[in-house]
Amino acid sequence: MGLDNNNIQSGVSTDQSDGNIITTTIDKVVNWGRKNSLWPMPFGTACCAIEMMATLASKYDLSRFGSEAIRFSPRQSDLLIVSGRISIKMMPVLKRIYDQMPDPKWVISMGACASCGGVFDTYTLIQGVDQFLPVDVYIPGCPPRPEDLIDAVMQVQRQIQKGELPKGVEAAP
Amino acid sequence: MTEEKVITEDTTPLVIQQLRDKFGDGLLSDAEAKDGVVVVVKKDNLYPLLEYLKTDLAYSMLVDITAVDNSNLEEELIKYDYARFMVVYHLYTFEGETPRLRVKVPVNDQNLNVPSVINLWKGANWLERETYDMFGIEFDGHPNLTRILMPNEFDGHPLRKDYPLRGRGERERFNFDKQNA
Repeated sequence: MGLDNNNIQSGVSTDQSDGNIITTTIDKVVNWGRKNSLWPMPFGTACCAIEMMATLASKYDLSRFGSEAIRFSPRQSDLLIVSGRISIKMMPVLKRIYDQMPDPKWVISMGACASCGGVFDTYTLIQGVDQFLPVDVYIPGCPPRPEDLIDAVMQVQRQIQKGELPKGVEAAP
Repeated sequence: MTEEKVITEDTTPLVIQQLRDKFGDGLLSDAEAKDGVVVVVKKDNLYPLLEYLKTDLAYSMLVDITAVDNSNLEEELIKYDYARFMVVYHLYTFEGETPRLRVKVPVNDQNLNVPSVINLWKGANWLERETYDMFGIEFDGHPNLTRILMPNEFDGHPLRKDYPLRGRGERERFNFDKQNA
């Protein structure tokens, strides 16, 4: 029974006469379930949110990746999608929403504004949400296309399947 | 005499004539712009003029209140006795030939107080707070003259010309957590 580290089907045995047996580890099963049922918490403040809505709608259909259950309550979600510019007045709100999400939780910084302030190099705008949130995946673009968001979600899924901890957990003491 | 009167009736909008008759020297200047009429008024006459416009001339809608920092406009400063700011009221009426009217009042740096017009238009509340937040104009008689766009802890008034575009370090310091603590 060879263990394949990259697959959920770690070992398949057909020795038994009453059917197939799959062997694996509990972590892999948990991660597999977790990655295919990410519940995003949208934090849309600008045009990136429009692209996020398009991603969720029927044409791009994020539910193919198990992430269609958008929750507007942070207490029921585990993937924060920051899409849009964050001002210094909005920062405590976003921080509070992140703090309310149950662990483990991932953060996607969608678009140029959330990642680095974008073209808004002004007095009121935070130059990247990673100054106060642990960001797992950045998406470039202004705004990014829905394919880019899907790619970011898949990247989060790959991280989860590999068993990597989210940045927020690594940063915690 | 009669000839002159005919010319003024042809060119000057009725509103300007009425305001001239009523306020005389209180008007610093009046002009026709592309989109309506512009009236510059002394601060003492601001509230009576706006009240007159609303009650007697049916300018029932207050579209906007804002301000302009004329620090870099030398000719504007000279014209209005080196008053740094110009508070601007945009009015609209559903009757008459000149629906849009703009009332400006020069405000000096030393005395930033302007009477509040909440008693005339309830909608002035947030507009005056915004003008206070962005320019530091004080509206006398406002029930809650606090910041509306920037956090309460913010220093300075960002739309003033002497305020730097990238701020004075506010976005790097992040000490605005208190309001949610």
